[in-house]
Amino acid sequence: MATVTIRHVTKCFGENTVLKDFDAVFGDGEFITLLGPSGCGKTTMLRMIAGFEKPSSGELYIDEQLVSGGKTFVPPEKRGVGMVFQSYAVWPHMNVFENVAYPLRIQKKSKEQIREAVERVLEIVHLTPYAERLPNQMSGGQQQRVALARALVAEPKLLLLDEPLSNLDAKLRETMRFEIKEIQKRTGITVVYVTHDQTEAMAMSDRIFVINRGAVQQEGTPQEIYNRPSNPFVADFLGKVDFFRGEAGNGRIVFPKMGGQSLPWNGTLTGKVLAAIRPENFCFSAEGGLKGQLETQYYLGDVNDCRVRIGETRVRVITGGYLYGEMKTGQEVALQAREMMVFPDDGTLEEMLTIQT
Amino acid sequence: MKRTKIGLALCFLAGLAMVLAGIQGQKELAESGFGSENGYQAIYALSADVAEAWGSLETELAELSGAENTAADSAAEALLQEAWKGSKENLTEILNGAGNQKKSTTWKLLYLQETLNGPKVPSAVKKSISGMSAENGKAFRQALIRSMGDESLGLPAEAEAAAGGLTGPERREMLAQLIVTSQSAGNAEYTEHVNQLKKSVRGKELQRTAFRMIAGGEINWIRQIIIGNSRTVILIGVLLMLDTLVLALLMRAERNWRMDFKWIMILGIVDFLLVFQVLPVIYMVIRAFWPEGEFSLTTVERLFSYPLNWEALKNTLIASFATMILGTLIAFPLAWLVGRTNLYGKKFFRALFVLTYMVPPYVGAMAWLRLMNPNVGTINQWLRVIFHLSDTPGPLNVYTVPGMIWVLTTFYYPYAFITISRAMEKMDPSLEEASRISGATPVKTIFTVTLPMMTPSLIAGALLVFISAASCYGIPSIIGTPGNVNTVTTRIVEYVALGQQGLNDATGLAIFLMVVALGILFLSDVVLAKKQYITVSGKSVQPAIVDLRGWRTPLTILVSLFAGIMVLLPFATILTTSFKIDIGKSMLAEGNFTTANWTSIFSRGETISCLKNSLIFAAVAATVGLIIACVMSYLLQRTRIRGRTIPNFLITLGSGTPSVVIALGLIMTMRGNFGVNIYNTAYILIIAYLIKYLMMGMRTVVSAMSQIHVSLEECSQVSGASWLRTMFRITGPLIFPSIAAGWFLIFIPSFYELSMTTLLYSSTTKTIGYQLYEYWTFTSQPMSCAMAFGILLIVIGLNFVLNRLTKGEFSI
Repeated sequence: MATVTIRHVTKCFGENTVLKDFDAVFGDGEFITLLGPSGCGKTTMLRMIAGFEKPSSGELYIDEQLVSGGKTFVPPEKRGVGMVFQSYAVWPHMNVFENVAYPLRIQKKSKEQIREAVERVLEIVHLTPYAERLPNQMSGGQQQRVALARALVAEPKLLLLDEPLSNLDAKLRETMRFEIKEIQKRTGITVVYVTHDQTEAMAMSDRIFVINRGAVQQEGTPQEIYNRPSNPFVADFLGKVDFFRGEAGNGRIVFPKMGGQSLPWNGTLTGKVLAAIRPENFCFSAEGGLKGQLETQYYLGDVNDCRVRIGETRVRVITGGYLYGEMKTGQEVALQAREMMVFPDDGTLEEMLTIQT
Repeated sequence: MKRTKIGLALCFLAGLAMVLAGIQGQKELAESGFGSENGYQAIYALSADVAEAWGSLETELAELSGAENTAADSAAEALLQEAWKGSKENLTEILNGAGNQKKSTTWKLLYLQETLNGPKVPSAVKKSISGMSAENGKAFRQALIRSMGDESLGLPAEAEAAAGGLTGPERREMLAQLIVTSQSAGNAEYTEHVNQLKKSVRGKELQRTAFRMIAGGEINWIRQIIIGNSRTVILIGVLLMLDTLVLALLMRAERNWRMDFKWIMILGIVDFLLVFQVLPVIYMVIRAFWPEGEFSLTTVERLFSYPLNWEALKNTLIASFATMILGTLIAFPLAWLVGRTNLYGKKFFRALFVLTYMVPPYVGAMAWLRLMNPNVGTINQWLRVIFHLSDTPGPLNVYTVPGMIWVLTTFYYPYAFITISRAMEKMDPSLEEASRISGATPVKTIFTVTLPMMTPSLIAGALLVFISAASCYGIPSIIGTPGNVNTVTTRIVEYVALGQQGLNDATGLAIFLMVVALGILFLSDVVLAKKQYITVSGKSVQPAIVDLRGWRTPLTILVSLFAGIMVLLPFATILTTSFKIDIGKSMLAEGNFTTANWTSIFSRGETISCLKNSLIFAAVAATVGLIIACVMSYLLQRTRIRGRTIPNFLITLGSGTPSVVIALGLIMTMRGNFGVNIYNTAYILIIAYLIKYLMMGMRTVVSAMSQIHVSLEECSQVSGASWLRTMFRITGPLIFPSIAAGWFLIFIPSFYELSMTTLLYSSTTKTIGYQLYEYWTFTSQPMSCAMAFGILLIVIGLNFVLNRLTKGEFSI
């Protein structure tokens, strides 16, 4: 289908740089997610691909053809992409059929072709019975599917989705997430998906670009990003994580705030480090480890969410729910870490984690 | 529940009793033969006056001897018998019937007799009497009483000039008259009451009846209210009955028979509007179709058999329709260019176009008159030079229907501009982006998405232009009168000037205008409301800006040219004209420059007092209007109380009613014939302004209130603040900008109002708008231009204050 090549794209609004030197290639048929907190620049990137914004510098290619860059600028209508907007942007003065048929009418397709194509795409989004409805007679989820159908009807080579699920309720969001993924698989279309919801990103993407403050923090598959974050921000943004300051050396990391207790580690870093440990990667151990006191535990059914005090620090541990009955608040425990992410500590952690909007 | 029902029933019965009493009072009034209620009011007032006078006379009499008293009494009675000779009222019977009150009755009757019909006192004598001290006055009167009883006694020096040469009854009568004069000297109230009696009770016979009633104290305060104010009593009674009925219906619908204070607020507003807005309109309809109490179309027939009226009708419809089309055609591209493109100086242009909205229409008319006068119009002079035309009139002539259409357009296109650009700013830009990404070009997007989405507001804006142009009086009055271009509004005002018959004819035209206006209001409010698309998305959106690219500069030049012609040229003309002596020549021509116009408007007391009137009336209207607006927005936005939409509906209706119709209705119903007499007062002007402009203020406050989520208030109350404190600390500060804006939105149009003022002003309540119109028509055009520019400066200044006060959130 289509590839998107982004070459050193920077975007400024006046003094304010919202995107710095974005450089990436989105492969044919890939499901790409741009993930980041609000205001990070991800929507701006998407709108540049669509042609609603011009890059301040750098080039953008769709299928090897230059669309933005230098003196070239291909307007949105000439780019042959489909897009779903956050507000759906379903035209209230047209019924569902007319909304979906619009891109084909622009292409001056015959009546027969239009009818066929619209019916087919309405079938895909399960809206066949609603063709004659007006948008204001439909729920948010249905409108969202109209928008999706309209984006797909002209069989674009590239589909852009701008937080399409953020206005839906939790249940519907899960269903739609699944449906979008299904459609993408069936059609083999290249998708660029913008969201701030990490679960959405993890569930759907082939590759995720984590963006913060206008810069790509990391790109990779969901597993790579979750398990091997390239910096504390990524580690923090995806999933839950606690950071501990320590000294690395001699195969161990010593944590001063845990009364000098240590955990084994055979990495290459030495000196001041940050150990990032996900609560689910801690486990209670009979063979010793970090010694502390069980402060609280909350039974959440599938898991037991505990807080353990070790020296001056408090550690969050998520274990199987079955353990709830076996432990008592206040009892002495020992913790082992199954996995640990270690970053050099340059003292900027807190600053890095604050989200700028 | 039972108690409320009983209370309501009692209220209803009280209302009914008032109506019946009022009707009875009317009947008695008719039987009495007194011309109007004023007679009864005067009788009541005089009863007190005369009783007081008698009280002091009585003590003065008591100081005299018994013989002197008897002589004076019989002299008084003899005088009365003489005056009442041949009267239907039997004096002897009255005096005998009075029993031990005979003495006081005799003197009181004599007192009245002399005041109204006594001999004339030479003014020199009057003067010397009124100059007396209280002590001397008393001695003077006592001397007079003595000599009334005994002709042989001498006269006080002051009385000599008046009664010196007289003898017998003539002398006695003059002496009695002097007693009255001395006692009532300087009592202005008494004189006023007597004049009122003279006016409404005509003929000796009726006067004697009135005297009997006064002397006998027959009219107590209840009777005076019921008979003397019978129409007001009926009006209040009817309102009371209506209110209790409405209240009962509301409670029934609510299935809860409990009194709610909010209903009192609603009914208060509704009653006000019923009396001053609904009653006049209904009365006009009745007058037009039931002129003699029977249904007949004679008024309508007579009205429309007159070709001038047909012409007025035709002119109004053609001009309004053309203005609507032209105005919308101008407004839509302007709104788009200013709101949605990267035109240079967008903000400036926007402010400039909106500025026209605040300019009084007659000022625009004056400017265009100066520019397109067929002989000396500035544009005509230029055109003649440019195209080498002969020196004959023309080529443009403002005194025509097309001329009027042009002026109406320049004034009313901002109405459409504001409506459309508001809708454009609110529109979710992704609707257009979705069209672009679907493959449509920007131009195609305008036609397939932007325009259809705008249709409801486009139509609403267009209809607003139509109805404003149709009910405009300022422009046709200034252009039409000299050019003989009649419109419905100018015909109405002309008819009103013709007196009673004219008033009948004016109603016919007014009803026509009102039906058109309310029909359109209905069309745009009810029919279009259903088609109104909700396009506001959840997150705040920045409208997408279209890059004009190569067109940017040419389009900016075009818009500048337009702004120059439509806005700056007229303002400049007004300004330069205000410095001219001869309006036909250039301001800078030899010896043609003067500042006299400006100095004279500031030094004329009349102008200053008119300005003061305008400021006071507008401020009162705005303040009262805003209180109503706040109450209404509370009722509409914060309560679910039943019946809260009734006043809202009436207020909307009022603002949709053409100004001249409102004024005409008030003229016909507020001169006392329905129990309210505010004709020729400031109240009638203020009420007219309120009815017309209340909605502007209300809408602003209501929409501000609707944007404050109720949880903000609830949170404050949960934090422990009382309702009142919450209003002051949370709601008040949040809606303050809108309250200020609402106040100005009523104040500014009231300040320069002309159409209603023309019909309702009196010599003491002239406003600056009317003064300007008078100057323009009768005195001096340059001077009126100076005034017009002054008004303009005030309005712009006020707008600036408003803008500052609301931190730029509001301007008009």
